[in-house]
Amino acid sequence: MTPPSRLHHSTPSGSDPRRQRLDRLATASITVGAFAVLAAILAIGIFLLWESLPLLSMTGTFTLETLSPLAWGTLKAALAAMLLALPVALGAAVYTALYMPPPLRSRIKPVLEMMEAIPGVVVGFIAGLILAPWVERHLASTLVLLVWLPLSTLLAGALWHRARQSLRQYLPFSWAGLWLVPWLVVMTFLALWATPGVEQVLIGGDVRQWLDQQLGLNYATRNAMIVGMAMGFAVIPSIYALAEDALADVPASLLEGAQALGATRWQALWKVALPAAGPGIFSAVMIGAGRAVGETMIVLMASGNTALFSVSPFEGMRSIAAAIAIEMPEAAPGSSTYHVLIFAALVLFLFTFLVNTLAEVVRLRLRIRLSRMGGGG
Amino acid sequence: MSRLWPWLCAASVALSLLMLAALLTLLLTRGLGHFWPATLESVTLDSGEVIAGEAVREIPLPHRDGEERLYFTANRDLDSHRWRWVEINHIDERSTPHALVRLERSPWGDFIGYLTAVESAGSHLEGEAAWQALKTALTRPPPERPNATLILKSAGGETLRQPLNEIHRAYRPNAMAWWEKIRFWSSGVWQFLSEGPRAANTGGGVWPAIFGTVLMVMVMSLIVMPFGVLAAIYLNEIAHQGRLTRLVRIGVRNLAGVPSIVYGVFGLGVFVYGLGSSLDEWFFSDSLPSPTFGTGGLLWASLTLALLTLPVVIVATEEGLARIPDAQREGAVALGATRLEMLTRVVLPMAAPAMLTAVILAIARAAGEVAPLMLVGVAKLAPQMPVDGEFPYLHVERKFMHLGYHLFDTAFHGEDIQAAIPLVYAIALLLVFIVLVLNLTAILLRHHLRHQRGQSC
Repeated sequence: MTPPSRLHHSTPSGSDPRRQRLDRLATASITVGAFAVLAAILAIGIFLLWESLPLLSMTGTFTLETLSPLAWGTLKAALAAMLLALPVALGAAVYTALYMPPPLRSRIKPVLEMMEAIPGVVVGFIAGLILAPWVERHLASTLVLLVWLPLSTLLAGALWHRARQSLRQYLPFSWAGLWLVPWLVVMTFLALWATPGVEQVLIGGDVRQWLDQQLGLNYATRNAMIVGMAMGFAVIPSIYALAEDALADVPASLLEGAQALGATRWQALWKVALPAAGPGIFSAVMIGAGRAVGETMIVLMASGNTALFSVSPFEGMRSIAAAIAIEMPEAAPGSSTYHVLIFAALVLFLFTFLVNTLAEVVRLRLRIRLSRMGGGG
Repeated sequence: MSRLWPWLCAASVALSLLMLAALLTLLLTRGLGHFWPATLESVTLDSGEVIAGEAVREIPLPHRDGEERLYFTANRDLDSHRWRWVEINHIDERSTPHALVRLERSPWGDFIGYLTAVESAGSHLEGEAAWQALKTALTRPPPERPNATLILKSAGGETLRQPLNEIHRAYRPNAMAWWEKIRFWSSGVWQFLSEGPRAANTGGGVWPAIFGTVLMVMVMSLIVMPFGVLAAIYLNEIAHQGRLTRLVRIGVRNLAGVPSIVYGVFGLGVFVYGLGSSLDEWFFSDSLPSPTFGTGGLLWASLTLALLTLPVVIVATEEGLARIPDAQREGAVALGATRLEMLTRVVLPMAAPAMLTAVILAIARAAGEVAPLMLVGVAKLAPQMPVDGEFPYLHVERKFMHLGYHLFDTAFHGEDIQAAIPLVYAIALLLVFIVLVLNLTAILLRHHLRHQRGQSC
């Protein structure tokens, strides 16, 4: 990205000593400013570390007892989000990078990246106050939709392959990302219309009751599933953007070569593009995971904030970030709660920093490797 | 099967687009619909009871056939609740009488019912004359309004005396023509943008929150821009491009991925409890123990967000600097310029659009960020604006209101969340609109920049 060489002033240019002094002064102040920035950045880590030290002198398992349900809640929320976001983001990345015509791709990509700009507090509001009560009333339909939407796409694909040539030209696969939108809308309404009847016939009434009686699962209005949907929505764009970049950077000559040897487009993708872009996709997933672990407002607003140890996707949780946001303003400085919360922040900081560094290093390596592979192409 | 896998990938794109479109449509329709004067219904039940209100939604009855409908009936001072579920097959008659009035009042929330009379200083007006008198009274600014009392009658027949000075707006939606509704709608939007909140944040406008957000973002930009640009210039133009610089660059990039709440904790611990308390001890010791700087405030919030957006600014500026061809720098130096002259005359002017992009991206990130602000100085309801006529005019130690936090607070801490949801939609729409417009500007600017650079190289 940066040009390989930089200019170094070893030879005096110009003879005016005032200009030279001014130049040295400016260089010095830029350096000082830059080091102030670096110091501020280092200060975050040092402060968090320093303020968690008093915990070492505290006896007992107070810290562990407070933090372990929170850590579990954080992991559960992040896991739920990744379960939804990963397939969608990676699928979308594969499709945009390898199947879409370039003019369309250059329009769709910024639109999808726009999703990232939507503030967490807005997503949290929609999830906690609008989506959660709706899902509670239409639980069966929601569960059916999670399965039915992928199935209906496969149905669309099967129908398309059987359709007449003229129709296929009219609805080319490379534009399927757009014309599948109305199809999905219709399929959603179909599922919403049909499910209550099927629910009545199969389990004689309410799914929530059935879950409670047959499986002993409690249903909380704001639960891990809702958090997963909302945070998944928020994480999709960051995973998508990075994974798409990695796939698009795979030299076209590799794919063309594979196809020239008789591979289908999908085989070329699976055997050539994915292994080549693998590290980039890995780093995209890591960045997404880091974002899911640290996201505060969505979990705060959509999870019910109960510190529970439960694996059920229908129960709430409390994450580290949400706990800090709720408890920190009330904790007196110097109290044990204060130090525990700072330690929690340190955990978040270290985790995301390590994950991101790993992702960044992997990504840079990959970029070098791919540029070598690409050669002249 | 391998023929069908690509379809799932295509559906992922379609699904993402669908979710984005659904979210934006929901915000747009509900957010703008909030200001539209909804039709009021008068409903006679089979028990003979009459209620009046706005129909909100219908859901199927639990465990039985049929549906029930939710009415917003207002009048909390008469029957202590504002909502009413009515079974549809218990409704005898629905009508939309033109005389139904909706009043927006301060302490008790809305009133829905009929206006019987207006009494003021000996005069007693009834019927249409009373409505005209009320309308003319409300067109004047609040301090000049006459000292009058309204006699109101609810749909159920209860009478109520209501002082005029507690009323903000009065309208009869059923009697309005469509162009009157449009005028009413735009005046509603204007009031939302220009007035302060009322009724514990569940009604009124968001002006202080808009003002607080803008001011905080401006102070933040003033802090973050010089430092961010200096750091970027150092990394790209001065530092030796070795292993260390590369490490620093990775570190800076990764700070963008550190959760915002961590910055909030840092701001609270270092700025508020550390710096703020020391400042209080040195300069404001006479007002202790009540803290001046030792509590959250505009300055600390801006500093915290400046730290949060620092990586954004550095990365975007550096990207712009790296795009400038080395030939430009070499040319300047060959003509005898010192490094400072090369930077100020050649490099920085060429990187100006990149720096503009950087500040817009930083603002967009900061405007939507709520979690760290909850720790370092945002307020539910700030008693004073951070800017006023009193010296030194800008009070950076004061707490301020923020659009995102206002949304969170209205949606989750109100006493009647149901009634506040339409308002929350409007706030969310405003916030998303601001952030998206900022981001779009940055994208277009960057696009333009690349295009231009592509031609010049």
